[in-house]
Amino acid sequence: MPAFLAGLNPGWLLIAAGLLALFVRGRVVRQVITIAAPILGILLVSGTPHGVDLLTHETLSITLSFYHVDSLSFLFGLAFLIAALLNAIYALHTDNRIQDGMALAYAGAAVSAVFSGDLLTLFVFWELTAVTSVFLILQAGTRAAYFASMRYLGVQILSGVLLLAGIAYVWNATGSLSITAFTSLDQPGALIIFIAFGIKAAFPFLHNWLQDSYPKASVVGAVVLSAFTTKLAVYAFARMFPGQDELIWIGAIMTVFPVFFAVIENDLRRVLAYSTNNQVGFMICAIGVGTPLALNGAVAHAFADILFKGLLFMSMGAVLYRTGTTKANELGGLYRTMPWTTLFCLIGAISISAMPLFSAFVTKSMILSAVASTGMIVVWLMLMFASAGVLEHSGIKIPYFAFFGHDSGKRVKEAPFNMLLAMGMASFLCIAIGLPAFLPGFGYEWLYSLLPYPIEAANYQPFTLGHILAQLQLLALAVFAFILLQRLGLYPPEKPGVILDTDWTYRKVGYGAVRWIDTVWARLGPAMTAIFRGFSGRTYDRLVDAFSPRGVLSRNPVSRGMAVWTAVILALVLLVSYLRG
Amino acid sequence: MTDETPTGRDTSGRFVKRAVETVNAMSRTNDEGIHPMSKVLFGWTETKNIGAILFWVLAVLSIILVLADLVIDRHEYFNFAESVGFFGLWGFLSFSFVVLMGWPLGRLLRRDENYYGDAGGPPDDIDPGLEGKPLGGGHGPHGGEH
Repeated sequence: MPAFLAGLNPGWLLIAAGLLALFVRGRVVRQVITIAAPILGILLVSGTPHGVDLLTHETLSITLSFYHVDSLSFLFGLAFLIAALLNAIYALHTDNRIQDGMALAYAGAAVSAVFSGDLLTLFVFWELTAVTSVFLILQAGTRAAYFASMRYLGVQILSGVLLLAGIAYVWNATGSLSITAFTSLDQPGALIIFIAFGIKAAFPFLHNWLQDSYPKASVVGAVVLSAFTTKLAVYAFARMFPGQDELIWIGAIMTVFPVFFAVIENDLRRVLAYSTNNQVGFMICAIGVGTPLALNGAVAHAFADILFKGLLFMSMGAVLYRTGTTKANELGGLYRTMPWTTLFCLIGAISISAMPLFSAFVTKSMILSAVASTGMIVVWLMLMFASAGVLEHSGIKIPYFAFFGHDSGKRVKEAPFNMLLAMGMASFLCIAIGLPAFLPGFGYEWLYSLLPYPIEAANYQPFTLGHILAQLQLLALAVFAFILLQRLGLYPPEKPGVILDTDWTYRKVGYGAVRWIDTVWARLGPAMTAIFRGFSGRTYDRLVDAFSPRGVLSRNPVSRGMAVWTAVILALVLLVSYLRG
Repeated sequence: MTDETPTGRDTSGRFVKRAVETVNAMSRTNDEGIHPMSKVLFGWTETKNIGAILFWVLAVLSIILVLADLVIDRHEYFNFAESVGFFGLWGFLSFSFVVLMGWPLGRLLRRDENYYGDAGGPPDDIDPGLEGKPLGGGHGPHGGEH
């Protein structure tokens, strides 16, 4: 590779290409840019040496490292670049400069963030992901999307500000901005950075920006959004908090609670947002375990998730594009007219359900084995429970209610070819990394060889008879439960409506409180002004009445005499002083 | 459709390759808007009594998988997980619990679509040819904020 290309961060390339795309009016030229940039990025990062600071800059006695690739960041960067390419293909039917440009810049910011070699660079690109991604929600053009995007921006910027505050503590305590793992949350700045990462990873109670914004984004926007932000946070945790015990429980809870929301949610893109929560939970839990096997599992699962979650969002995007809705109660029976979309959606659904021969099977089983090896029975059972839950909401509910089930009577066209192409490529990758290595180095072995601990990965065997049997049992009996409950009429029907979640606290209680304070202030303010005016006015009047030349004190004869006597005494004092002087 | 035409010519008399024509036919929807590939890929779902067939197929499959536990020796980190049919039972119970919890949770948490004051609508970038799509998408009465 030429020397000038070796130091070129593919993330920066994407950002530059994205900014360029903003100003290119010609649709074809712009499309060439959006597709060529990620391809070039993939080529660049494939040939980059690991563990070297490839681009540094010294300023104010701080050494900034802009491009640093190692075994942990490589797969995240690669997955982001692949996602950027698939997203660009998925968007080919549109002609929207802002969306094209910002999607590319957003991907670039995420890539630059994972390849940053110091905390300050990480912070800059951390914020850039927030600022660029908000346009993808705004491009939906609806009023609801506008308000959701503002809430989204607020939460994301809060995460960035907390990160900066944490970095300041770290700088103060250590005098260094290098990205080193924390060993305890008691270290200076650790807890603040933990929360900053936790917001982006959508920790429980901090998760609602995700369900609020992604389903309101544009068709293409939601697909783009699904890939980067949460997985960037997963990378950040793997980098700075590996083996942090708190993450085990946080992750386990993250896998379980979205399952219950997903089952009653009607908007299928919102179901996928909960599903994102649930999958990130597996990764966070594994990072908490922190063993080489667990970290391998977290990274591999992030890679797989970017592909199959993107694929599922793409298929729901195609449905939304053709029907104008993703509400389960308005959909059904679309396989008749969208068979290819149905097929690709099913591949995504089977992949996320961790069916043997599909991607999540080879990635999630590492996480489950790692958790089991710690002996934490409850956590392991929670993850197994969540695995059945994934099958419910992403494996069955999404394809069943959109494409099968009750026939909605909608006879729409199949998705545009570019969408099918992007979905087909994502499907291919979902299967390709899930296959056994029929040829050495292919199938799951390709993914395993790129993991942070390749030796441990090579020693791990996902395709043992025991693993396959256990997973097939879990899936088969869960599907059997679905059919049984359907036949017994015990499966809750899809009903339109809003499902309350923790965002109720700020969208209803918080907003209500602010509105109440506003109303109260609108009345209290003038009332207080009136009271103060009345009080100060009366005081002034009293003073005038007493002390002015026409006041009480002047009108009294004694006062008049007092003035004369004062003058006389002053004259006497002056006279005496003069004579003595 | 191509069977009646002379070899190598399409209905309007142009010479075409048969394969190309087949591919074309497979992507052209019929009068009711049904995609021909849907029959190939998912025609089986329209079989009579498909619900009952799937029920029994899965029931038998589940029994086979549970019985396979007797033959295949699984090595698990926890002893109880090695018992026969543990994963099947856990999957069945977990799935049923999640679905059945949907009833009380739905009653507890579901509110009107307009609960937060704005139910929203489809984004601007949906199919321009979609019937009933308002002209100019969301930029009509609501689009003034940005």
